[in-house]
Amino acid sequence: MIELEMQVLSDRREGLLVELGRIVVAYGFSLMRQRLSQDSRGTWLTMIVRGPADKQLAMEEALATHSRVLSFEAGVAEGRPAMTPAASAPVPAPVTAPAPAPMPSTQGSGPDIHQVESTLPQLARDYPKIYPWLRNLEHAVPADAREASLHLAGRRTGAWVYKRNYAMGAKLNLPDAIKRIGVPALRELATVDWRDGQLLIQNSPLCSPGSQSGCRFYSGYLEGVLGGSVEPQTVFVRNLFCRSHGAASCILEISH
Amino acid sequence: MAAHQSYNWMLIVLSYLISVLGSYTALQLAVGIPAAHSSRQRTAAILAAGAAMGVGAIWAMHFIAMLACDMGMPVTYDLARTSLSAVLAFAACSLGLGIAGSGSFNWPKLVAAGVCMGLGVAGMHYLGMTAVLMGAFITYDVSIVALSVLIAIVASIAALWLAFNLRGMAQMVGSALVMGIAVCGMHYTGMAAVNLEDNGSQLPAGYAAGLRGDNLGVSIFAVALVLLVVVLVLNHMRQRRREAITI
Repeated sequence: MIELEMQVLSDRREGLLVELGRIVVAYGFSLMRQRLSQDSRGTWLTMIVRGPADKQLAMEEALATHSRVLSFEAGVAEGRPAMTPAASAPVPAPVTAPAPAPMPSTQGSGPDIHQVESTLPQLARDYPKIYPWLRNLEHAVPADAREASLHLAGRRTGAWVYKRNYAMGAKLNLPDAIKRIGVPALRELATVDWRDGQLLIQNSPLCSPGSQSGCRFYSGYLEGVLGGSVEPQTVFVRNLFCRSHGAASCILEISH
Repeated sequence: MAAHQSYNWMLIVLSYLISVLGSYTALQLAVGIPAAHSSRQRTAAILAAGAAMGVGAIWAMHFIAMLACDMGMPVTYDLARTSLSAVLAFAACSLGLGIAGSGSFNWPKLVAAGVCMGLGVAGMHYLGMTAVLMGAFITYDVSIVALSVLIAIVASIAALWLAFNLRGMAQMVGSALVMGIAVCGMHYTGMAAVNLEDNGSQLPAGYAAGLRGDNLGVSIFAVALVLLVVVLVLNHMRQRRREAITI
């Protein structure tokens, strides 16, 4: 295993982490930490990744030649926690788009990679009966890493479900992908309806009143399951309403 | 004087079954085209799908259906044109499936692919009909011929839409059943357009050297066997790959 620090310059911030993170994961690497910052030249993304040394060159090649990447630098990380982009002061990286008005703003730390990685095999083994494992994960991680951890677990689970069950066929436009892939896939986990461009999740077991982090798993799950099925691959899921915050149903909005 | 055609219903059912089997194999190979990681993989998937569709679903179906048809006189088939009809079907289907499997899915691409496939089905049929050697002239009702081509194109578009746009059983089985309708619907409509005119029982040149029904039966059996093996191997490989995918 090798730990690398990589720095990327791109002209746009939107979806950068999702797109490049997908490449990192595709080569068997795990994203340990990431940071996004902005300057006059564009958006800087710094990532610390860990994975198999024999895939390093291939992954670097894939990242360096990605259409979003204007400049790319990589080196072996030396165990230092601080990440220093070449530009101005770094800004914490949100994992997805910011939450809309009805939902409280969430800006926790990154995911607890270790806990998520140790939970994923259980999710794969017991899928779709995974709620007990998700509740375990919810309680096993620090409070400020809870949402990001559930989101990451959702993304990984969604991507896995896509590759197993939905990868055969053409790339679809987003509405068709939601209708034919996203909704059927999520129906394995919850009672869902797709209405007027919004996805309703009824009686979500993860979003009981008073809980903190329910819809984050579903958001990540949909990003994972839809990410591979649409062209371009960038998918954002916003949590508009959640039962845990007093709404009757959880409502998610999906966009490019 | 128009000669009478009669059909063996068991062979008609068999012709539909082989067209569905060929279509299933072809479309299962075709839906893997977008997932190809290299141009080499992509080309291989397109050619394999085109072969299964062109030779399996269309060519083999056509000749089973010809065996099912009793034209009231002995018939043989010109080897060169029979072979050429298989090549035409293979080429047209490869082109159509290649178009359908490239990039993201949209209607212009679907229509272009469906037209290729439909013309492949019709082209194979009518070229295959020119290979028929017998003591009569074949003429066609042009309006029914046009209808047969339309059936092939429309049903091909429907089958491709199901195969590339849906997921699950409707994708796998539904698309093959509809493609079977495209192939058989075109063929039997095309046969309804046929008029056999007596030529005084003069056999055409090359009649004696032509392929007979029993020769075709062996070829069709070989095609069906290959299709079955491909389906089984493909399903086995996909199952193993599915199990190997890690979270």
